[in-house]
Amino acid sequence: MIRRSTFTALASAVALMAGLASSSAALAQQTTLRVFSGGANQRPDLMRKLFDQYQAKNPNVKVEIETGGATSELQRQYLSTVLNAKDPAIDIYLIDIVNPAQYYGAGWLEPLDAYVGKPAEAFKAYLPVYLSSNVIDGKVAAMPAFADAMFMYYRKDLLDKHGVKEPKTWDELSAAASKIQRAEANPNLQGLSIQGAPIEGAVCTFLLPYWGQGKDFNDANGKLTLDKAAATKGLSQWLAMVDAGVIKRNVAEVKTPDTVNEFKAGQVVFAINWGFAWDRFKDDPDSKVQGKVGVMPLPAVADGKSATCVGGWQWAVSAFSKNKAAAAGLVKHLASAESSKFLAVEGSLLATYPGVYTDVDVVKNVPWFKDAANVVIAGRSRPMSKDYGQVSDIIRTTTSAVLARTKTPAEGVAEIESRLTRVMR
Amino acid sequence: MAGVSVFDRWRDPSEKALGFMLLAPAFALLALIVAYPIGRLIWNSFFDLRLSGGGGIKFVGLENYLLVFQDPDFWNATKNTVLITLITVPGALIIGLGLALLANLPFKRKWPVRLALLLPWALPLAFAGLIFAWFFHTEYGVVNDVVRRATSGAGGQTEPTMWLLRPGWAFTAICMTIVWKTSSFMALILLAGLQMIPKSLYEAAEVDGASKWQQFWQITIPMLTPSIIVALIFRTITALQTFDIPYTMTKGGPGNSTETLAMLIHKTTIDYLDVGYGSTLAVCMFVLSLFVTAFYLKRIGKNA
Repeated sequence: MIRRSTFTALASAVALMAGLASSSAALAQQTTLRVFSGGANQRPDLMRKLFDQYQAKNPNVKVEIETGGATSELQRQYLSTVLNAKDPAIDIYLIDIVNPAQYYGAGWLEPLDAYVGKPAEAFKAYLPVYLSSNVIDGKVAAMPAFADAMFMYYRKDLLDKHGVKEPKTWDELSAAASKIQRAEANPNLQGLSIQGAPIEGAVCTFLLPYWGQGKDFNDANGKLTLDKAAATKGLSQWLAMVDAGVIKRNVAEVKTPDTVNEFKAGQVVFAINWGFAWDRFKDDPDSKVQGKVGVMPLPAVADGKSATCVGGWQWAVSAFSKNKAAAAGLVKHLASAESSKFLAVEGSLLATYPGVYTDVDVVKNVPWFKDAANVVIAGRSRPMSKDYGQVSDIIRTTTSAVLARTKTPAEGVAEIESRLTRVMR
Repeated sequence: MAGVSVFDRWRDPSEKALGFMLLAPAFALLALIVAYPIGRLIWNSFFDLRLSGGGGIKFVGLENYLLVFQDPDFWNATKNTVLITLITVPGALIIGLGLALLANLPFKRKWPVRLALLLPWALPLAFAGLIFAWFFHTEYGVVNDVVRRATSGAGGQTEPTMWLLRPGWAFTAICMTIVWKTSSFMALILLAGLQMIPKSLYEAAEVDGASKWQQFWQITIPMLTPSIIVALIFRTITALQTFDIPYTMTKGGPGNSTETLAMLIHKTTIDYLDVGYGSTLAVCMFVLSLFVTAFYLKRIGKNA
């Protein structure tokens, strides 16, 4: 009896000491960084390769990856919980472009100025939109990972066939679409497909014709600067297109995949959608529009200027991380032009540097990037607010209700204003 | 010698002490999973507790409750919830009773009927919502297809109804789905009740010359009342908590014209991350359920 317990005690002591020795040896030479890398759409497989590249160059750093949340909303809900608990387990977060304002405002992100330089300097090489979306209160809150944007896709073959040029204004687009619809005499052919269901895309559906008039939705401090007349005009413009038969009547039911599928089936002349749709049109075996698709900047309102909704993902360092310097080092690598090029070539993820769009290798692998560059440069960020979840919900629900004609554009805009002035103070 | 006596009392407890000891585990479990969460919910409802960050936690007393009463979204959601309850509970009762009577007929094979009764009940609510959302889709839905085929013969080339985009139609579609989904649950409980009614009552009535109609009103309904009340209680409470079907069919749209209380609570807490105000809304819904349940319990007391 005694002998056995002595033996157990001895054995466990030896095991304990061995464990301590090995882990302290590991600590001496290695920093382990844990990275939250979003869901499958954020391509954790490619991110892992970027981490491996960094590990190869920095043998004392080991990068672990954590994934989760299929959509931006689910990720925000998860991360808000983790960060509220001041959890130090994750050092780096990959976050949606709409989130730096909330996270930095809450004190969850480490300002990166000390590692990447002053904002103006740090963002000089990037697309202009990133300076406004990632710099909060004059500090660098996050660095760009890859871009996304709302594109105007169109049927090159149909425009050529009917002698129509790329429209520059919404009126021209409406006229061009009507002309093609009449000439094709196909009752199922839609002139323009936009997203009117109460999903994130409907926020852009609201903003595109508003921005197209050269108006701002919020100032640099995130305060609401809604021009009600312009917003009403923007929404009325969509309804006018519905009345003209350019947009289908049940537009308030249309979600992102509906636009993709209907365009793929050859039933749409112009379609507004995110960057991922390009590969679906081009590569999907059931796509009837392979080789017939063009991309152009979004039209403006007459005398306005073209603008699009920019999306994309950002790298941010947790304020609760125990390895901030090492984490910032990795973020610098991930946000570099080489990484942006790697993601463009390997996964056709849109680049965050204008220079990458014209890079020889990029143009060879993803030729459409040269058209995409013009669109992305005109990109703007959606309203920044620490309560973006609420801001987005209010805009998309109301926009959808207006498109369903349960509210007039003026009523909808008044409702957006009264609800948002409470949130965006 | 106190130690010994405590030990003895532990070894050989009195009847009362034994009762407490045996109940303690169950009580602790209930406290953990019922009393604590409800208590915490009420506690949270007195705070400004927003996870979207920065502000920290502030005690605001009854401010959240005052906000609730001025919140048009709360009243809109309450109205929708009450309407859904008032429409779908009697609706499901009537259809469920019909189904139960049908299933109670002396079929040779009983299982196909019972299986057909069980299937809608076994289907998860969210699936039912998604399936019916497709049924009612303007372009791809089977409902509009049937309407189109039926009216095309009559020469009516009408525009398809946009079921889920018109507040009135969307509400109707949701109510129809809920009735479809829940009447089988009603039917199951009522079927059990029907089978408890002794055959001899009907035989006696037959001898006395009562018609089938009279038998139904004089025997079936009175004997079935306890089952009906049980079914109504369950159904009403779940109807007050309606979430899945409107959430998957319309997300509360168009606008917020089909938003229920449970959806408003979910949106406030999960999407807006406003836990304080969400808790307040949940407490209000809890109170509403409590009133309705108390009303039913009183009625049962009368019947028993």
